[in-house]
Amino acid sequence: MIEYLVFAAAFGLLLLGLHRKVIARVQLRPGPPVWQEILHALKFSFKSTWVPKTASATLYVGVVLIGIGIWSAALFVVLAGESILILFAIYMLHKIVEHGFGLSSGSPYGKFGGVRSVISAASEIPLFVTIAAIYFFTDSLLLRDIVAYQAVHGPLLLIAPPAAIAMYIVILSKLPYGPFSIVESKELVSGYKTEHFGVWRAGISVIDGTKTFVLLFAFVAIFIGAMPFWAALVIMTIVLVSLSFVCAVTPMLSPFDSVTVQGIVTLLMVGYAAVLWWVMP
Amino acid sequence: MKRTTITYGLAASALVIVAAWAALAASLIPLWAAETAMVIAFPVLVLFLGLWWRAPGGEEDIPFIGY
Repeated sequence: MIEYLVFAAAFGLLLLGLHRKVIARVQLRPGPPVWQEILHALKFSFKSTWVPKTASATLYVGVVLIGIGIWSAALFVVLAGESILILFAIYMLHKIVEHGFGLSSGSPYGKFGGVRSVISAASEIPLFVTIAAIYFFTDSLLLRDIVAYQAVHGPLLLIAPPAAIAMYIVILSKLPYGPFSIVESKELVSGYKTEHFGVWRAGISVIDGTKTFVLLFAFVAIFIGAMPFWAALVIMTIVLVSLSFVCAVTPMLSPFDSVTVQGIVTLLMVGYAAVLWWVMP
Repeated sequence: MKRTTITYGLAASALVIVAAWAALAASLIPLWAAETAMVIAFPVLVLFLGLWWRAPGGEEDIPFIGY
C-alpha cells in the first residue's frame, strides 16, 4: 500500500515534468528534462528548513501534513472504487488547504494566492453538475458501479461528452501554467506556495504529484471505464499531453475572467443536466 | 526541532506503516483500517524523512511582508 502512494506521487511528478516539457516544445523552447519535478522534490527535501518568524507554525506545517493526507486518502478511494462524492469532497478540502498555505506564512504573496484559491473555487461548481449528469445515467456514484455501467453500455466519454469536457476543464484548472492557474501566477511569485521552502516545499511536491495522478486516474475510470493498469497509465499520459497543449497555447486569464469562463461552463452544464433530467426516464 | 525528536518521529511513522502493512497481510485488520493508518503515517514519514536528511543550519526569518 505504501508502494501505491510512492508510485502515485512519483508518476504524478513525472507527468508534471512531461507537462512542462510539452509546453516548452510547443513554445519552441528545449524545456527541462521530464524528471525535473522529481529532482525538484528531492532537492527541496535536502535544503535547510525553518519556519518564518511571521508564520503561524502550527498552520504552516499542519497544512502540508493535511495536504499529503487528503490526497493519499483520495488515492485509496479511487483504487477501492468508492463514491466519487468522497473524491470530490477531498477536492474541496484541497481548496481549504491551499487557503491555509497562503494565510499561514504572513507573506502578502501567499495571502493573495490563498485569496485567489477561494475565488477559483468557481472551478468546483462544474464538478458537481458533472456528478449530477453522471448519476442520471448510472444511478450510482460508486466508482465501481460507474465502471460496471460502462462495461455494459460503453464509455461515458461517448455517452455524456459534455460531462467529460466539464471535468477536463476542472483538471485543466488544477494544472500549473494553465489558463486558470491564477493561484500561483507569476505576479504573486509562487502564489500560496511562496513562503513554503525546503522540506515543506518537498511536501507540496508530493501533494501535487499525488493530486495529478488521482485526478487523471479518476477521469479515466469515470469516463472510459475498466482497463489494465498499464493502459490506464498510457491514457492518463495522453490526456495530460492534450492538457499541456491547451496550456501552451492559452494565456493565463485574469482572476475575474477565469471565474467568468468557469461560470459559463457551469451554466452550460446546468442546462445539460436539466435536459437530461427532462429526457431521461 | 531536535535531531532526536525527528529520529523518533521518523521511526514511529515508519513503524506504523510497516505494522499496518504486516497486519493487513496477516488479515488481522480490515483494508480500511490499514488505509487509515497509511493516510495518517505517510505525511508524517514524508516530512520527517526530509527533516532528518535536510542540510543543517537556518534560523527563522521575516519574509517580505509588504511596503
